[in-house]
Amino acid sequence: MHPALQGLLTIVIGVGACLSYFWASNQFLDRVLFPAKGPNAGRNINRANMIRPWLFLFPALFALSLYLAYPVFETIRLSLTDRVTQPDGTTVYHFVGLGNYIQMSGDPKFWEALWNNMLWLIVVPAMSTAFGLLAAQLTDRISWGNLAKSLIFMPMAISFVGAAVIWKLIYDARPPDAAQIGVLNAIYVSLTGNDPQQWLTVPFWNNFLLMVVLVWIQTGFAMVILSAALRGIPEETIEAAIVDGANPFQIFFKIKVPQIMPTIMVVWTTITLVVLKIFDIVFAMTNGQWGTQVLANYMFNQLFVTRDWGVGSASAMVIMLLVTPILVWNVRQARKEMR
Amino acid sequence: MFPTPIQKQSMAAQVSYQALLPLALIMWLLPLIAVALFSIRPLADFTNGNYWGMPSSFEFFENYGKVFFESDMPRYLWNSVLITVPTVIGAVALSCMTGFALGIYRFRGNLLIFFMFIAGNFVPFQILMVPVRDLTVSIGLYDTKLGLVLFHVAFQTGFCTLFMRNFIRALPHELIEAARVEGVAEWRIFWFVVLPLMRPAIAALSVLIFTFIWNDYFWAVVLTQGPGAQPVTAGITSFNSQFVAQYHLMSAGSIVAALPPVAMFFLMQRHFIAGLTLGAVK
Repeated sequence: MHPALQGLLTIVIGVGACLSYFWASNQFLDRVLFPAKGPNAGRNINRANMIRPWLFLFPALFALSLYLAYPVFETIRLSLTDRVTQPDGTTVYHFVGLGNYIQMSGDPKFWEALWNNMLWLIVVPAMSTAFGLLAAQLTDRISWGNLAKSLIFMPMAISFVGAAVIWKLIYDARPPDAAQIGVLNAIYVSLTGNDPQQWLTVPFWNNFLLMVVLVWIQTGFAMVILSAALRGIPEETIEAAIVDGANPFQIFFKIKVPQIMPTIMVVWTTITLVVLKIFDIVFAMTNGQWGTQVLANYMFNQLFVTRDWGVGSASAMVIMLLVTPILVWNVRQARKEMR
Repeated sequence: MFPTPIQKQSMAAQVSYQALLPLALIMWLLPLIAVALFSIRPLADFTNGNYWGMPSSFEFFENYGKVFFESDMPRYLWNSVLITVPTVIGAVALSCMTGFALGIYRFRGNLLIFFMFIAGNFVPFQILMVPVRDLTVSIGLYDTKLGLVLFHVAFQTGFCTLFMRNFIRALPHELIEAARVEGVAEWRIFWFVVLPLMRPAIAALSVLIFTFIWNDYFWAVVLTQGPGAQPVTAGITSFNSQFVAQYHLMSAGSIVAALPPVAMFFLMQRHFIAGLTLGAVK
């Protein structure tokens, strides 16, 4: 059990370091640096309280600046340079300005990736939210609704890659005369009598087959959040609508949906963020072949297959650019709540 | 009272509702059901093309035994455990502290740092890839579990801090005021007053982070290679190329790889949903 002990030791050391840092730094502040006694007691207490939050924040800020802030700026720099390996084996970086971006905009694969990302952005959040809302509404009315919810939610717990591997099997195709192992082809052949299709190579529509996987995963998430919101709707508003003679559809669309609109927006943006970064599913199922490229996978290819770090970083910046509006909107939203 | 309980509606509506919903559910879970069925078939069924009929024999122990004793799967699973558990502990411990600082203290820069955490939360992880990889290589942690753990802790701390801060903000502030009036030291307030109250948040967050990290694939591919350090998400693709066309083993492997987070979800459902709701609504 050597690796187990090693892992345990790492945890003990890590947690021990955390705790002792926390205890020792506070003790140092209170006892040594600004003790709450002597002639300057009052001033010392104030000073200690000014510094204390930073003691709590320091480890996280340090980790975040090393692994988050620094890489962001480094990528911006990389996207403006070309990495050249010289004959003697050393690498140098040449500043090329917007050269990488210009090179990228001449690559049809990039435009394909961008276009596909837009398709994903339109389809997946809408479908996931709609299915989630439907599932939340339908399962609310039956006695075994909680069980049904758990089952709908289950794909959420599976990793994207795991789901992609499973769905690849679903889309699998066998020669026309053989029995079909892929569920989709088994159904398709038995219903229509046509020859089985290589689903993942059908241009344009294969994008939607990949999206189905993500919708399958994210619907559970949308359902859980929306179901909580639906239960929070004040009963009186619905009773009033019934007294006024509204039918179930009117109640759903005109009474319930408007009241949970803020939650729908949150779910929508959360899924949008997931979609912008979508990588695992495309990578594991088609690796961007047959017109299914997306930005994250394009970047991965540029870095590890073409080994063009400049263009890879430039495409990462494009993803960042697409996320920025949501980022700004969220920060503004948070500020509004503060006031 | 609306929704009308389904029992009070007409017979036809009741029957169709009760029948269609399970049908839709089965459709929804069809991929999983299909894979689960494949995983207990013998190899002969696949060579004969008997995919959907009755299995000629049930090879549950045979197939899963192969996955566990004749492949790298146990190593991948164990790697995943060694990566996920320290990350959860580290990220939750760090974010308890930062959440406390941002939630309790009023100090200059509080809001600024809070907004930075929100912004950091939205940074797409792809943009970090090259520098983080270089960094990990240069400190000699490439292809180690520790390298993955350190990065995951740092990256998840952003989200965890927001989560914890919002939770601490909702705690009754009078408790802390009372403790201060009694002259309790600040670190004791954190340890003995606030931390016990945060238990539900810690449980919810741990379950959530556990699934995030367990299911991570991108960083597993970027920062590790080979069965020495790779977690099960990356392992499943190598596993599949090892047993290509052996669908019974591939299916059993997929089930084994997916099982831990699913089991976690069913055991900790309440915490999981609480975590998602808290994390999303705020």
